[in-house]
Formats: sequence, structure tokens, C-alpha cells
Amino acid sequence: MQNQQEFIKIIKENEGIIFKITLTYAYTKEHQKDLYQEIVYQLWKSFGSFKGDSKISTWIYRVALNTSITHLKKEQKKGKTIQFEKVLLNKIDHIDTLMDERIQLLYRHIKLLNTIEKGIILLFLEGKNYNEISEITGFTPTNVGTRLNRIKQKLKSQIIK
Amino acid sequence: MDLEEIKNQWDKMSKDIKKQKILTDKLIIDMTQEKYNNKLKLISIPETIGTVICFAGAIYIFINFGKLDTWYMQLSGLFTALFCIILPILSLRSIFGMQKLDMSNNNYKQSIEKFAKSKKQFVLIQKVSFYLSFILVLVCLPVAGKLMNNKDLFLESKVWLWYIPFGFVFLYVISRWVFKKYKRATTSAENLLKELETL
Repeated sequence: MQNQQEFIKIIKENEGIIFKITLTYAYTKEHQKDLYQEIVYQLWKSFGSFKGDSKISTWIYRVALNTSITHLKKEQKKGKTIQFEKVLLNKIDHIDTLMDERIQLLYRHIKLLNTIEKGIILLFLEGKNYNEISEITGFTPTNVGTRLNRIKQKLKSQIIK
Repeated sequence: MDLEEIKNQWDKMSKDIKKQKILTDKLIIDMTQEKYNNKLKLISIPETIGTVICFAGAIYIFINFGKLDTWYMQLSGLFTALFCIILPILSLRSIFGMQKLDMSNNNYKQSIEKFAKSKKQFVLIQKVSFYLSFILVLVCLPVAGKLMNNKDLFLESKVWLWYIPFGFVFLYVISRWVFKKYKRATTSAENLLKELETL
């Protein structure tokens, strides 16, 4: 019970991170909602084994990004209609309406990047430095820097087009 | 919009999102319950049902193997039974392999690598199954005919006159669609692996 309360607290404190990640990787609202649930579920599954060697946010980014890669596009498959899913969907919709047009445009361009690039740019925009990005992704800091430069160029040319 | 501007917009959005509390305690608890995690399982449900049907078919063939009285019937029976046992197992194994990645201990790079490799393996198994199903189309009907009606369909030319053209046209049409899908899946997995190696 204590464990669960602690988990709830952590998730509530970091729900924005999960939201932004789902927005980056999901293709539709349905997919975003599914991914959101899947990430929370995976975080809960690994919460017991989290030893606190790294920062909580690092652990959340790692699990959330890994889940996003492996979360297959299942939106075509019809699952049971569960009440809380609707609640989640409505709230996701609500945040969407608050988003700046330019941020929506940016998300559209980020979605065009490949899986590796998406993860790196997301962490960069979240204010992580090269070493932190390296810890979460497994790429060396130098490699992160090189990739980031390439992503910046790519985004620039995409946006200018 | 340059990158500094992008970063500023992102920070502003992050602040706005932080203010919007989506989750309640109940919502989080619900999400941690495995019973709600049914979408992931849906992926493997058709494969699991297929496997049960294949196993039932294989068991039926083995129980009645004595009824297959010629060498070609026995060979056909053995091929059908083995096809029904081995390929579904391989297919399920690779699906579960894709789902069983360690989300907490693997880093992003490792997860991408493992996932892309599992995906490639899965597509390969599907491809092999598909090629072998051409042979299965040829041998499973005579085996069924022998086991159910004690008829040797290999000796009845009338059946083959409609069965072979129909079977192959059917498989050809499906194969055009299936191979497009396989090619896309393999290419995306290969590109991802290549991208991991580049600097």
C-alpha cells in the first residue's frame, strides 16, 4: 500500500513527461491513450526493482521511451471499452486545445523523424545535457552531440520547407 | 522558427502541461492493473487461437496416423503435423520476445536494437511459414480426405482440377499483399539497425 502511494505520488509529479512522450510517439488520440496507459503500467511493473541508482526522472524517461518503441500500433484492434479510458481521452483532448499552433507544428515535424532521433530531440528539448541523454539512451555523449546536430539540421530544413 | 525559439516554446508548453493535472489516484491504480492492459494481449490472441487449432490438427493426425497407409500419405501427414506444431511455436515465441523486453534495465539503444532484431526474426518466420504453406495447401487436403473419408485424393484427378488452380490463385493474391507488408516491416527494422551504427 505504501509502495502504491509512493508510486502514485511519483506519477502525478511526472505526468507531464509521460504526456509529452506519448504525444511524440503516438499517431492518433487512441494510440496516445493506449501508450499512456502502457507506460504507467510498465513503470508500475518495474517500480519494485527501481533501486534509486539514477534520478527518478531518468528512470521514467528510460521506461517511457523503451515502451514507446515497442508499443505496436494496436489502435485498429478493438479492446473492451473501459470508462477510465474515456476520462483519459477527454483530458488528453483538453490539453491539446491549449497547445500553441507552433508547438503543434513542431510536433508534426518531430513525428517525421526516425525513432532514434525522436528520443534524442525529446530529451534535448526537455533540457537534458549530453551526459544525461547518454545515460538514458546508451549513446556516447559525443555520439549524442553528432546526432543532435544532424537532427537540428533536419528539423530546420523541414520547417523551412 | 530556430532551435532556440523551439526550445522556448517547448519550455512554455511544459509549464502549461504541468499545470494541467490529468491523473487521479484511481486512474493511476486502474492503469497498474493488468486486467486493463488487455490491448497488448489482443495482438497475440489470433496467433494463440491459431496455435490451439494447429495443435488440435496435429494431435488428430498423430492419433490417426495408422490410417495413412501409403508412403506419400505418411509423408504428407508428417509434414502437415510438423508444420502445425513448429511454425506456430516459433511465431508465438518471436511475438512474446518482442513484448518481453526489459523496459527498466535496457537503455534506449539496446531496446531499439533488440526490438528491431526481434521484428526482423518475426518477419522471417512469417515469410518461411508463407512459403511452406504452398506445400501445405498441396498435402493437407489429401491427408484430411484420407483420415476423414478414407479416400486417396492423390489418385482422384477431378479434385485436383479445381483445387490446385483455386488454391494457388488464392495464395498468389494473398502473397502480393502479404509481401508488401513484410517488405515494409523488414525495411523499417533494417533502417533502424543501420541508423544505430551510423555516427
